[in-house]
Amino acid sequence: MSAPSLTPEIVLRTSPHLHSKRSVGVIMRNVVYAMLPVCAYAVYNFGISVLALLVVSTLSCVLTEHMFCRAAGRPSSIKDSSVIITGILLGLTLPPGFPLWMTAVGGFVAVGLGKMLFGGLGFNVFNPALVGRAFLQAAFPTAITTYTPAQATGRFLEFIPTSLTLPFMQPPVITDWVAKVRIDAFSGATPLTALKFDKVTTEIMPLFWGNVAGSAGETSVILILLGGVYLVARNFMDWRITASMLLSAMAMSGAFYLSNPTAFPNPLFMLFSGGLMLGAVFMATDMVASPVTPLGVWIYGAVMGVMTILIRLLGGLPEGVMYAILLANAVSPAIDNLTQPRVYGTKKKAEAKA
Amino acid sequence: MGHDHGATVSPSENMEAFLNGLWKQNPVFVQVLGTCPTMAITNSARNAVAMGLATLFVLVFSNMLISMVRRLVQKQVRIATYILIIATFVTMVDYIIKAVSIDVYKALGPFIALIVVNCIILGRAEAFAGKNPVWQSILDGFGMGIGFFIALFCLGSVREILGAGTLFGFSLFGSNFQPWVLFLLPSGGFFTLASWLLVFAWWKERGKAKEAQA
Amino acid sequence: MNTTAPRADMPPSSALIKLMGVVSLICGLLIVTTHQQTLAPIRHNQEIILSETVAELLPGAKKQVSYGVDASGNLSIVEGAEFAGPRLFAGYDAYGGLIGVVIEGGERGYADVIRAMFAYSPQKKAIVGFKVTELKETPGLGDKISSDKKFLSNFKDLDASLEHPIVTVKSGTKKNRWEVDAISGATISSRAVGRLLQKSTKEMIPVIQRNLQRIERGN
Repeated sequence: MSAPSLTPEIVLRTSPHLHSKRSVGVIMRNVVYAMLPVCAYAVYNFGISVLALLVVSTLSCVLTEHMFCRAAGRPSSIKDSSVIITGILLGLTLPPGFPLWMTAVGGFVAVGLGKMLFGGLGFNVFNPALVGRAFLQAAFPTAITTYTPAQATGRFLEFIPTSLTLPFMQPPVITDWVAKVRIDAFSGATPLTALKFDKVTTEIMPLFWGNVAGSAGETSVILILLGGVYLVARNFMDWRITASMLLSAMAMSGAFYLSNPTAFPNPLFMLFSGGLMLGAVFMATDMVASPVTPLGVWIYGAVMGVMTILIRLLGGLPEGVMYAILLANAVSPAIDNLTQPRVYGTKKKAEAKA
Repeated sequence: MGHDHGATVSPSENMEAFLNGLWKQNPVFVQVLGTCPTMAITNSARNAVAMGLATLFVLVFSNMLISMVRRLVQKQVRIATYILIIATFVTMVDYIIKAVSIDVYKALGPFIALIVVNCIILGRAEAFAGKNPVWQSILDGFGMGIGFFIALFCLGSVREILGAGTLFGFSLFGSNFQPWVLFLLPSGGFFTLASWLLVFAWWKERGKAKEAQA
Repeated sequence: MNTTAPRADMPPSSALIKLMGVVSLICGLLIVTTHQQTLAPIRHNQEIILSETVAELLPGAKKQVSYGVDASGNLSIVEGAEFAGPRLFAGYDAYGGLIGVVIEGGERGYADVIRAMFAYSPQKKAIVGFKVTELKETPGLGDKISSDKKFLSNFKDLDASLEHPIVTVKSGTKKNRWEVDAISGATISSRAVGRLLQKSTKEMIPVIQRNLQRIERGN
């Protein structure tokens, strides 16, 4: 999600005052447009399983919001499209063959716990899609780390066997299935898993174009960036958060790399692999959960970038974007407090004391 | 509560002392006290039962002893005395569990010592046993202890059923059931407690709404 | 309460000390009594757990002897759970023949130290059984090392001749007798088991080999 531009200068004009056409609905729909190429590529890369995944995650999110609104006796808020973004984002962050029943559980938790229990759009402390994903990661750690190779044969004709697992049942083991359908040179291991457990660094170009294994929508760096550029160009997104997150991640992994080039991967690999791009463009910029002060957004982005790299390189998990963003969401009110601009005409603290 | 009637206590007041902890002032679901052991230990029904029994034991005996000596204890040192008495019973429970079952001890080990700082126990000593006669204090200990036990069991059984597909180790849904690992982790304890609180809050609200209608 | 003025109702310290002394005495007595009463059953329980584990790892063992290993690698027979250092447990069949020796080991896993016992057969020069005795790994993931049948089948006949180090390999890629096939999704815990076995075998198997005749006699 993106934030409208936070113009620091005050614009004074005489009447007539034009009402901006930028309602929540318009912004949200544009974010959906920006994500469509990523979705399309995800379906191309992994097949019909991802199509089903995105449909189920979006539907479960929309239904949950509708149900909660009805239970609370309020008019349904699904028309502002923000819940569709949550649904699509949740789908994009899950492995392609993630069981559909678990996806529905994730959608319910994302919107129910992450958004509606806080009071709906504008009151959520955390990015709802990531709340859903964090829940799924903790509840079903095996399913959410089972990745399938990209560009598998017959991916448009058959589902990945794990997708169609019966509700509340364990997904089948797909080692044999993967061996059957995978094309040489395409592995089921994500670039970050390969790095963590086998110390193998993937080439940069496949990461950039996106034909590697990973969560459904995180693989193609170029398409995610294009979506981001569209939103920035139309002034629907706070580019400073994305820039700050990417730059700090780059600087942090650069410092690790320079300290020991054999033990740590190069910064460009770190930047292009995993969910960092998807997180930085579409999730870190969630306008509800991010700070509003100009300095605050830079600090906020830096917290996310640094945490991501720390979790990836020093933690037990291969990927850290999700927890980094959730942590930054949690400290975002504190960042706002610390970076309040001085009200014009008042003295600085130090002067006031003296 | 809070009055010291000496030996003249009506049966209804006894009942009150007992029922109070069981439901109206349930330590976990109403007072939300003692959540540390509640979160840490309730990942299976068996652990919950064991922890519930251990706490019940400590609560009843510490309430009894504290009530017995309540007239001798000067108020300046009462907390120190209470803690001393509570710690004694906790140490005894520690030995007894180790002697009875090593398996239960392995699961509860680090948490048994923590019963000392379970605020329910010191809370009852301060709020009740230090001011009330022995018999009532014992009943209060039983009421609170059983209330705590029920709460732990509610949490433990839900978490075991969802987190492992079993109850007291017996498989409920067959081997193909997908366990929700989250519910075995401490965060799952918070989710479960929150859900129970939600259920009780909803129940209370509904009761109030009905009363208002009538 | 007014805290600045001297308190009129403050009892003399001696009274407070006397009270605490009496309470401590009662409490101390209670604890000592319980300790005395439970000492024997606690020891007994620990013994039972140990010998049950050894019996499980060495099926058919009718008699067990436990040896303590001192710093220079010498053995001494120890009774009960007293000995602080590393221990070996030898199991014998009904005719007094040595079936195998159980070794204890520990290694850092994902969450905390994993402790395990495993059976070594001096005849086969191989590990023939493995049991995790203590772990705090993630439930449903890392804790599979104690229950996953496929993983445990690694230890039915694992080469421990010390010619090759015992290593954990990626799930499904085990080729040699000294390799441990990891559990997919629990790589960190599986690798910890490999390191645990490598470390303990390297330390303990030479001790067993040196004292093999004594262990076979069971004295």
